[in-house]
Amino acid sequence: MNQPRLKVPLVLLVALLLHTAVMGHMRVAGVAPDLMVLIPIVGGLTAGPERGAAFGFFTGLAVDLVVQTTPLGLSALSFSTVGYTVGVLEAGILRSSWWIPPATALVGSAAGEALYAVSGALVGQTQLVTNRLGLIVLVVGAFNAAFALPVLRIVRWSMQGGTPTPARFM
Amino acid sequence: MAVYRRSNRRRFVFVLLLLTSITLITLDMRGSSSGAIGSLRRGAHDVFAPIQSAADKVIAPVGDFFGGLSRYGHVKAENRRLRDELARVRASGLQETDAQRQLRELTAIEHLTFAGDLRSIVARVVSTSPSNFQVTVELDKGTAAGIQNGMPVVGGAGLVGRVVEVSKERSTVLLITDGESHIGVRFSQSGDTGVANGAGARTPMQVSFVNIGTKVTQDEVVTTSGLQDAIFPPGVPVGKVRSVKTAADKLALDVTIDPVVDLSHLEFLKVLVWLPPPGP
Repeated sequence: MNQPRLKVPLVLLVALLLHTAVMGHMRVAGVAPDLMVLIPIVGGLTAGPERGAAFGFFTGLAVDLVVQTTPLGLSALSFSTVGYTVGVLEAGILRSSWWIPPATALVGSAAGEALYAVSGALVGQTQLVTNRLGLIVLVVGAFNAAFALPVLRIVRWSMQGGTPTPARFM
Repeated sequence: MAVYRRSNRRRFVFVLLLLTSITLITLDMRGSSSGAIGSLRRGAHDVFAPIQSAADKVIAPVGDFFGGLSRYGHVKAENRRLRDELARVRASGLQETDAQRQLRELTAIEHLTFAGDLRSIVARVVSTSPSNFQVTVELDKGTAAGIQNGMPVVGGAGLVGRVVEVSKERSTVLLITDGESHIGVRFSQSGDTGVANGAGARTPMQVSFVNIGTKVTQDEVVTTSGLQDAIFPPGVPVGKVRSVKTAADKLALDVTIDPVVDLSHLEFLKVLVWLPPPGP
């Protein structure tokens, strides 16, 4: 059970269950937190762009298959882009500090939600871009910033035991 | 050199994932719901549904707790209202149990005046979507019970939405308030028509294409029009008029309506066995 190939899918499954069963109840101004976009962000922060993108692809695919009725691959596209970008930016950070993960979660989640809506509109899902988009981006960013540190610990735990990962942002 | 190779590999993985996502989007948008992607979705729903049901039983109290926290003001006001109501009920000697309440809801949807002789399937709402972009609920019945994509879903008072995804044991209902929902409607007094568009949860629906000369009154009931190519049968109540004003271009009326069904408290619904006529 100490292998990432077992722990990572387990973490993704638990995150999906929490996302579907709990997050929908935690609404502020009608907007719920998006735990699934947070996973690739912390994945990119802890393990770099490649794994950030992979986390994003699989969490996005799970959301597309189980939660959304928008085209399959839309969340995977947005989330993998966010995970990869965070990983690339993380490589440029010289000093680690406790506030970097919440700040990255805030900006990354906001960007992920906006990217999902805009890329959806580009493929014909124009109803995703509404006048509530700004509110969604802000509230999801704030929620995910609050969840960033515990989720970071869990994602890092899931990746321990296999290939060593850089121990940053503890 | 090694750093350069690693960087190339990262880019390669990322581009590969992007291309896979774009391929999936294209296949899903071009294929029918009975194609490979549709089957994959239905399979995922069928596999995930029992896990989700089991997890819901364990996690639901946590969700309810956070729900209570995030809606503290609303819960407090509702608590006050319920206390008053309880006092009134006790005073009248009528103590309704939860089972009686469920029976009342079921009776209400069993005696629909607007569904005519359409056959229907009663289903229970098992979850609401956590998505911020879509307003959907999931029902505990699917193709095994005879539910198909596109079937209208109603509550005791009127229209709730339509089935947009269906697997063997579950179906997803897109509620009428979702941004993707466009319903041909008819005003009950004048008989004039318009198109009611969803604008998101807890947001009034906008009715467009309402002739400037149409007489519209507050609280007037709006029903489905059932005109050619309509995706709902005619005569199903959709909403009540909330506001009316002349549009900025003075060519039409800006009408908003509130759904007749309380979409924030859905428990039992009825899926009407009716499908839109096939297109030309």
